[in-house]
Order: sequence, then C-alpha cells, then structure tokens
Amino acid sequence: MNDMTRPDANTIDPPLDFPAYQSTHLRHPKQPLVAIPARLLDVPGPTVPRGFVKSGDNDLTAQGKGLPLGERMVLTGRMLDADGRPIRRALIEVWQTNASGRYMHPGDQHDAPLDPNFPGIGRTFTDDEGRYRFLTIRPGAYPWQNHPYAWRPAHIHFSLLGNAPVQRLVTQMYFPGDPMLDLDPVFHGVPDAAARARMVCKLALDTGIEGVATGYSFDIVLGGAKSTPLGI
Amino acid sequence: MKAQRNPSQTIGPFFHVGLEWKDGGRVTFAEKGQRVVLVGRIADGAGQPVGDAMVETWQLSPDGRTPAPGTGSGHPHGMGRVQTSADGSFRIETLMPGGEAPHLEVTFFARGLLRGLHTRVYLAPEERVRADPALASIARSPRLRTLVAKPAGKDEYHWEVRLQGEGETVFFAV
Repeated sequence: MNDMTRPDANTIDPPLDFPAYQSTHLRHPKQPLVAIPARLLDVPGPTVPRGFVKSGDNDLTAQGKGLPLGERMVLTGRMLDADGRPIRRALIEVWQTNASGRYMHPGDQHDAPLDPNFPGIGRTFTDDEGRYRFLTIRPGAYPWQNHPYAWRPAHIHFSLLGNAPVQRLVTQMYFPGDPMLDLDPVFHGVPDAAARARMVCKLALDTGIEGVATGYSFDIVLGGAKSTPLGI
Repeated sequence: MKAQRNPSQTIGPFFHVGLEWKDGGRVTFAEKGQRVVLVGRIADGAGQPVGDAMVETWQLSPDGRTPAPGTGSGHPHGMGRVQTSADGSFRIETLMPGGEAPHLEVTFFARGLLRGLHTRVYLAPEERVRADPALASIARSPRLRTLVAKPAGKDEYHWEVRLQGEGETVFFAV
C-alpha cells in the first residue's frame, strides 16, 4: 500500500474547513478525500515552452510609461524539491497589489488609488540552479470582508507548476515582522508555526540594487522529489 | 537533504490579474485527434454557482502518451486553464485523451479553498471508469458517478461539479 496516499494525511497545508476564514464554509468538501496512487501525479508534465515568458516579464516596475509608486524591491530565491534539488526551468507566475493595497482588477472595490504604472503581474522561469529573480514594488495591505476591521497582510501571490502535477502549488509570500500576520486567518490556516514561517521572505539588502531597491529572499520547496528530472 | 514543502494558500478572488492565459481553454497537442468539448459547472454547498474559480486540466495526448512540450509562445501542450463565469460554468476544448478510460486530471482553485481540489473527469462509459485501477478504492461506490461526464450532442460532454453536500464530487488526496 506504499503506493497509495493516505486520505488527507497532509499536515503541511491548511485544512479545507477553516471557520475563521468564512469563505471555506460552503466550499469545503464534507466527504473524506479519496486515496489515489501517488505515482499517477508524480510524473513529468506539463512543459511550458520557453517563448511563453518574454524578456522583461520579471520586471514588474517596467510595465507602464513611468515608474510605479512605492518601495522598489528585488525578490530572489530558489525553487527546490523535497530532496533539496533545484527545480530547473520551471514557470513562476506572481500577482500582487500596488503600493496602496489595490489590485488592478475590476472586482477590487478597495477605495485606494490605482497606479497606471503597476499592473502587478510577473512571470519568469527558474534557471539551471533553480534560481529566480523579480524586480517589483512592495505590495500594500488591504481591507477585506471576512470580519470587522479585517485586513490582509501585504503579500505576493505565487503560482508554481513545478515539473510534475504533484508539484503544482498556489501560495502566498508574506513579509517579515508584519504585525498583521498574527491576525490573518489565511496565514493561520497553516497549522504548524514552522510551515507558516516558510511563507515569510527574509530581508537581504545586499541582494537589492544599491541606492535603488531593497532586497528580499524567498526559497520555495515543492513536493514530489521523484519527478524532478536530472537531465534538463 | 530533505526539505520541508511550502504550504498552500488560497488563490483569492483576484487571480485573473496574473494567471489568465490567452486561449487557455483551447488545449493544444502535437498530434491530431478527435475534438471534444467539456462543459462544466461548479456549485457550492448551498447550490450556488462558484463564479470565481480557476480550473486547470491536464491529460494524455490522443495517442495515450505524455504530451510533448508546447511550442512558440503558447501554453503547455495537454494543459488547459480557464476561469468560471458568473454562472459557475467553464468550457475546455480539447482532443479525446488516449487510454482505456479517457479522462482529464482537474484541479480547482478559488477564494475559500485554502488548497486546490484535485479530481478527474472521465469521458467514458461508467463501466469502463469502474474498471480503472486508479479508482480501485471507490470502484463500487455510487459516488464514482460524480467523475463521469455525460455525453451531450456531438463531441460534447457535460459535467456537474458539487464542492459540498448532495452529490458531492469525489476529490482526491494529493
């Protein structure tokens, strides 16, 4: 039975039913998750063509006619598998608010200014060592409707395909020392403190740009070591 | 060295900003095959449409192999990515996957889902789905039917997805 995952043996991810985050109430399955042979998803695929990412897609500060407002920051890190091996040539997609805490999205009703120079979208591939780099703006916090006086801590959304379906991950990156983290039900959906800490980037000023941009580092570890190809 | 995995977080309501793919609902392949359209609809535990979900599909090529990498500036072969409309519906145009019990791997991401929900949709008669060794643990369960899309006209299949409650779709532990 080593081939079967135990239903919901997952202790790293948040539970699907998490009352402090109200939107989970009507959207979580009540039946137990069903076991499926793990090997079915620990296989290579999908492979994103190199042309999908264009030069400059990792510079979120250069998508308008001028510079966006806010603290410019360089974000660098590595993508690794569960054995600590680099995940190479894998797609990273990010999206975020501008410095005022507003998404450039018609559904965002937060009464904060849009920044015409900051759509807040980035893409890149990891290199042969699993490294990636974005130049962006530090995002802002914003209010939401979960409970009275609810604010989301500043975060950057990450979407990661990895090299195999089992590695697929959508997550968020937070900032160190943010007092809103303690009050955020999405962050606290993750039960283990050490796992929560892995979602917080580190200040690394010497990875920034002297006199221009701060630097933060953020490593990402995905599951499914078996499927990380050695050859590519 | 063993490394601990990063946890999942919700995709939130504003993912379209960053994740919308041009023609993401048209799945491409290197091979030719039989064109099929999957029309799905997602409802929550109150039967209300889930109009802000992202749906991703992944499947074998028509000849039953792992799809070749995509080409040019397109998205990966074999993979679809769409968002649901206000009525909870979505549409994937693809080619019939190869194999004994043709199916698509499907993952839903949405506000209110702290992690993605993984399932499968089969474009095959129920008896062939029940014979799929991957589903051994639910081979006799009436719930298996939630994974079987209904043929609806020429080359089209319909699939009702229920996140919670009566007729709840089977989701897999990943």
